[in-house]
Amino acid sequence: MKDLLRLRTSLTEEIETLLNEQIKVEAHSSSVYLAMSSWCNRNGFDNSADYFQKQSGEEREHMLKLFGFINDMGGRAISPEVTNIPQEFESFRAVFETALQQEIYVTQQFNRIADRCFKAKDFMSFQFIQWFLKEQIEEEYIARRALELFDVIGEEGTGRWEIDKQVPKIKYEN
Amino acid sequence: MAKPACKNLEEIFRTPHGAVYQCNRANCFWLEFAGGISAFKASDFLHLKKQVEQIDVPEMVQNTARMADIVILNPFRSERCFVLTVTDVLNLRELLQGAKVMLDLNSMLYDCLHAMAV
Ligand SMILES: [Fe+2]
Ligand SMILES: [Fe+2]
Repeated sequence: MKDLLRLRTSLTEEIETLLNEQIKVEAHSSSVYLAMSSWCNRNGFDNSADYFQKQSGEEREHMLKLFGFINDMGGRAISPEVTNIPQEFESFRAVFETALQQEIYVTQQFNRIADRCFKAKDFMSFQFIQWFLKEQIEEEYIARRALELFDVIGEEGTGRWEIDKQVPKIKYEN
Repeated sequence: MAKPACKNLEEIFRTPHGAVYQCNRANCFWLEFAGGISAFKASDFLHLKKQVEQIDVPEMVQNTARMADIVILNPFRSERCFVLTVTDVLNLRELLQGAKVMLDLNSMLYDCLHAMAV
């Protein structure tokens, strides 16, 4: 009997579902970063506002990368519904802490996907996921460095102003 | 309902409530259920399965509103409209999931046979 499923797509149902869930995670990240940007902006942290807006754009790029892959493989990429975006944050520091937690969560998700791809012997998707795993090294590094500024510089006096000035300068050299 | 008169149809899965066939000429699936039979492209067929799986059956049972007793599915690119009670949902789910297992099995056989042929 002809294998109609394989003719349609090389993605299994499981992997397609996982990748679509990740589209949602990236879209959610993108929106959270945008909310962080707005918070920073209205609290006078202009550089951080720019930084988070840039991050938001990058998350959208990640989302589109996954989106394109699913469709290229003959799957059905689903435009995500994004809900429950926090608009308020406890403090300047809390914003960066949330950002790091979010990146850690994203890394965990990609590890999970890579594991599933490997178990399903879907090495095309496994290969595709490598890019994101590499990207997460950088994402986590930058988020962690940013949070460390709060300890290194300190928040007293003009500390927060200085932190805001340093945030855009964080670079990952690999 | 009798199997459609087409030589290229192969039965994939059957339950007391319906059957799924594959048409090797048109590369599509035929779903026989609740007295009707209709064709679906592979992607639409999988999407239908997903939709049926996503129906919240416990909610249908609990909710006392009359509207909650049935679910209506209107698959795209199909003239078919499914009006499903809870029992229908479970029966259709069993049929589609069973068919999917057989299709996956076929994929595996395909892989093995090709590996042997090379
Ligand atoms: Fe991302
Ligand atoms: Fe990220």
